[in-house]
Amino acid sequence: MIVGKQKPIEETWAMVKDFSRVLVFGCNTCVAVCHEGGNKEAQILASLMRMKATQEGLSLEIRDSGIERQCEHEFFESAEKDIEWADAVLSLACGVGVQFMVKRYPEILVYPGLDTCFLGDVEKNGLFTESCQACGKCVLAETAGICPVSRCAKRVLNGPCGGSNKGACEINKDLPCAWQLIVDRLEALGRLADYERLAPIKDWSTERAGGPRKLIHEEFMK
Amino acid sequence: MKRLLPRVGVDPARVEMFNLSSAMGPRWAEICNEFTERIRQLGPSPIRAALGRGGKGGTAS
Repeated sequence: MIVGKQKPIEETWAMVKDFSRVLVFGCNTCVAVCHEGGNKEAQILASLMRMKATQEGLSLEIRDSGIERQCEHEFFESAEKDIEWADAVLSLACGVGVQFMVKRYPEILVYPGLDTCFLGDVEKNGLFTESCQACGKCVLAETAGICPVSRCAKRVLNGPCGGSNKGACEINKDLPCAWQLIVDRLEALGRLADYERLAPIKDWSTERAGGPRKLIHEEFMK
Repeated sequence: MKRLLPRVGVDPARVEMFNLSSAMGPRWAEICNEFTERIRQLGPSPIRAALGRGGKGGTAS
């Protein structure tokens, strides 16, 4: 899922405080799981902003609303009235959702309430860790299901590098060396021979190096 | 909430969460008294003070 973090309220407040009608708009899927941008968080942020408005003597009206996903047209119907009411929307979606709203409502100002951080998993309650960089050419079959592109600081494909120290990465002793994890897992699976196979030079054109990407299913576009 | 309230100038001591069962009436009364006393000591909230100054912002609907 996409993991994001709410921007400091000082930053978002500066974006919206000069408008008359502000909608704080939650996205209740990915960024709700990380407790940053769901409909509940939209309610809380709207309340905080109302407190701020009161203290600053501003008369802006602040509502909150939200939908399941801000990156798909199908979900917007229930919130159309709220969105049309607003002078400005503070979207708590990831960058995808914010831009989707900008495309869908070209006449409405949409501001980002989150900093979109990474694609990650819920390692445990409250801990979200990066585990995929959407590089467009998955190497997990060759790396025991552990991604060196996202979990190795250098994205080394034939690791570990010389900075691996007692299972930790040189950039942070609390960060496991992805290649140590790969070797350990291969060994546990009895497949250490796989480690001897050199990975070829990776085709990075499928990643951002090739520009913005698209996936097209023509059969669904009719 | 305790983390967020200071960002809008509200003392986090103004909010507290207690987990009680419906069979804990005496403890509930005790908490109410303790919390009321705490709020008395903290005084009016800055939101109330702003409203008193004529602050009208932050309406919800």
